[in-house]
Amino acid sequence: MTEKLFRHIGKPVERKEDARLVTGKGRFSDDFRLAGQAHAAIVRSPHPHARIRGIETAEALSSPGVLLVLTGRDCLDDGLEPIPHNPVPSTKYDMKLTAPGGGVPFIGPHHLLPDDKVRHVGEAVAIVVAETQAQALDGAERVLVDYEILPHVIHSEDAIAAGAPAVWDEVPENAFVDTRFGDWKGTERAFEQATHVVSAKFHVNRVTAVPLEPRSALASFDVETGRYVLYAGSGGAVRQKRELSSVLGIDPSRLRVLSYDVGGNFGARNRVYVEFGLVLWASQKLGRPVKYTATRSEAFLTDYQGRDLVTTVELALDEDGRFLALRADNISNVGARCVSLSPLSKGSGLITGSYDIPVAALRARAVFTNTMCTQAYRSSGRPEVTYAIERLIEIAARRLGFDPLELRLRNLVPPEAMPYRNAVGSIYDSGEYEKNMDRALVIADWAGFEARRQAAAERGKLLGRGFANYVESSIGTPKERAEITVKPDGTIEVVIGTQPSGQGHETSFAQVVAEMLDAPVENVTIVLGDTDVVSVGGGSHSGRSMRHAGTVMAMASADLVAEARRRAAELFDAPEEDVSFEGGRLVLPGTNHAVDLFELARLTERDHGPLFAARTNEMHTPVFPNGAAACEVEIDPKTGLVEITRYASVDDVGRCINPLIVHGQTHGGIAQGVGQAMWEECHVEPSSGQPVSGSFMDYGMPRSDNMPSFICEIAEVISPTNPLGIKAGGEGGTTPALAVVTNAVIDALRDTGVEDLPMPLTPLTVWKAIRHGAGHTDEDTRTTS
Amino acid sequence: MIEVTLKVNGEEVTRSVDDRTLLVTFLRDELGLTGTHVGCDTTQCGACVTIVDGHTLKSCTALVASLDGAEVTTIEGLAPGEDTLHPVQAAFRTHHGLQCGFCTPGMIMTAVDMIRRHGSDLDETTVRHELEGNLCRCTGYHNIVKAILAAAREPAAAGTF
Repeated sequence: MTEKLFRHIGKPVERKEDARLVTGKGRFSDDFRLAGQAHAAIVRSPHPHARIRGIETAEALSSPGVLLVLTGRDCLDDGLEPIPHNPVPSTKYDMKLTAPGGGVPFIGPHHLLPDDKVRHVGEAVAIVVAETQAQALDGAERVLVDYEILPHVIHSEDAIAAGAPAVWDEVPENAFVDTRFGDWKGTERAFEQATHVVSAKFHVNRVTAVPLEPRSALASFDVETGRYVLYAGSGGAVRQKRELSSVLGIDPSRLRVLSYDVGGNFGARNRVYVEFGLVLWASQKLGRPVKYTATRSEAFLTDYQGRDLVTTVELALDEDGRFLALRADNISNVGARCVSLSPLSKGSGLITGSYDIPVAALRARAVFTNTMCTQAYRSSGRPEVTYAIERLIEIAARRLGFDPLELRLRNLVPPEAMPYRNAVGSIYDSGEYEKNMDRALVIADWAGFEARRQAAAERGKLLGRGFANYVESSIGTPKERAEITVKPDGTIEVVIGTQPSGQGHETSFAQVVAEMLDAPVENVTIVLGDTDVVSVGGGSHSGRSMRHAGTVMAMASADLVAEARRRAAELFDAPEEDVSFEGGRLVLPGTNHAVDLFELARLTERDHGPLFAARTNEMHTPVFPNGAAACEVEIDPKTGLVEITRYASVDDVGRCINPLIVHGQTHGGIAQGVGQAMWEECHVEPSSGQPVSGSFMDYGMPRSDNMPSFICEIAEVISPTNPLGIKAGGEGGTTPALAVVTNAVIDALRDTGVEDLPMPLTPLTVWKAIRHGAGHTDEDTRTTS
Repeated sequence: MIEVTLKVNGEEVTRSVDDRTLLVTFLRDELGLTGTHVGCDTTQCGACVTIVDGHTLKSCTALVASLDGAEVTTIEGLAPGEDTLHPVQAAFRTHHGLQCGFCTPGMIMTAVDMIRRHGSDLDETTVRHELEGNLCRCTGYHNIVKAILAAAREPAAAGTF
């Protein structure tokens, strides 16, 4: 696309969706109610690992109001299939993960309810349906499950140790993926010749997405037509329809999925939840609509979780600090069964980060444990590997006596190397990494740090600063479809298969179509979230939506203009090539023939049908958003409390359609990254296997009083891979944040000699470091507290 | 069962409800006012904040039976008319103070009360401190704080609900 002045693209247009959301008129899943609906409650496992010897349901069935109880045995008897998660990323550009020794990995079938064993605390073992929610909960208390408790394993490294309990008999060693990437021999040679080798091991802790709307589903079954309807917010209704119809063993045309307003996603809603299948199944058995809404504690236990990567990284350097090679060993804890390998795969392609490292080698493993499943969580896999390399560089600089910024600058991928193929084969499309870095340091007032540090010291506080570069990839499901109809009433309707959960698609997508068809943004309506209308669509994940939808909408718009010219030519009785499209009107230059799109739609509807164009597009080439971030933290040495006093970032998102929305996405992304570094943790107590983060009382969240205001800038280096030049926004806020915050805290503690601290950087962790320096152990907590 | 009478968004309503009915359940299920949301059911997230007799109340933790005779304002009752937004609602829109919109009703009700108490003196530190009981996962709070501060400077924002 040639550079020209845009009318709508790039403008901070206020969001169309806000009118309903600020007045309480949103349509979230739990807001729907159907006549005669019954309510479901789920019986969940209290054990991390146990054999189900039997389930007694008679007492529950006789409980007041209870209508139906279903178990894993019923699930098998009714021939329900496991959820077809399809967890191995498989586009041309995804890193190909395989089973140990090659082949397709065993993923652990995900039945709606298990019949053999429970494999994590919170796993659904029965559904109880009753007239009211309270009666369903009372009934669930009366389902008696006879468990034979089995030994369990929680941490990924324990799971691959000899003699660990097997989560699945099919994979006795628990490691079901083991793949090597890169040039192992070349890497070994580089390490042998290196002046310096620096290594470190990190655990990027397990967190959860915490969308504010708990997941919810309302199903109904029409006996006469044999059709199911499901109201359930998700990351993409088309995928839910496809996979749930497979679970039920029905033709997809017999299931309609509606997903309107979705109260946050961040990855957790992209895969099918068992409860969605359970309410569909129950509604068919009962002949009544059935609703399930999770409590917050159920969400903490059983929302798909994120991260949990153990990474060991080694960097080889020459005497001037040039990076020669990188070696990494990454172990992803997927939990009790595998619903997605996206985090491991995405991270695998980006282990060398923003740096020009000639050779690299990676061993990537995924292991089962007796914990809730992990899934792609905001910026899937990239914060993990960014943390690894940016922390490793910091440690290398300190150990070898380099300035950490100088060391980064010396090794950045330069713009003239673009497109740049990194040592594991990812091709970075475009970017000006050094410029991002310079700009981030300016807006963070890096130079003014020393004065602020002294001022903090006078108040008895420790000030520290942290920095990180990042590059990430946006790949995602390659297929997207757009259907555009120009209506005689002056509106343009666009049907598209992505699914927003706060990203403002109804506005930014409308800006793109309004731009292409030269119409006011307010006249363009985006239709999403109803599978009876939307037939194809990849949903929203991996920062794919704007790029995929933008491209296919631009193509469909061009088709529509071509169709309009054909119809106008007929109307004007002139050759098609003489008709031009200007200012939203079809014009025959040199005459007074002119008609706008809407009028044309009206005039030609009878003979040619609606003025309509549809386009399905597949786009495989990934893009690589990138940027840099810096922050400052102030620590109270008496308590170990860390306050974030400054946070600045520069994010290259490619072409930015709506800066108001992109900045908002960045802010939220930063908060989620900072949250992981500072407070968030899905802690499972290893000896009992019990999750201890079950509510907002024990899962630390970013709050208004622990977050700063942000200084953010957008850099627009246009991507050559798609017509609009889009990369992706939003996830870039999260990607560097874990490393940036950790680097700042370690910097503040530099007098203690501490080189590394695990996330989350709670006051206790920081206080111990201040009190005991580098030699602290967990014992210190007990002896000193 | 117990009979309760409340004035909700200016209209008197009387219903016979189960003793254990929470205010939020009453609003959502009995009255169909689904703008008030349940994000945690343990009084921590603030998505269910309503204004009861002039003060904010997390409606997920109040028995409706204990509120007989009370005057309740929900997000649906805030705007002065069909096509006019309350200044706080308008500020959230202008400053992009919402993304998914699930926490937004609670945020707005809390903000309305905050502005009523502090007026145009409201500063960022106070907003951040007083908003601590309202969780948002999308915005990082940046634009919410900005929206509330902007609304506080609108003369029409104080005392209107």
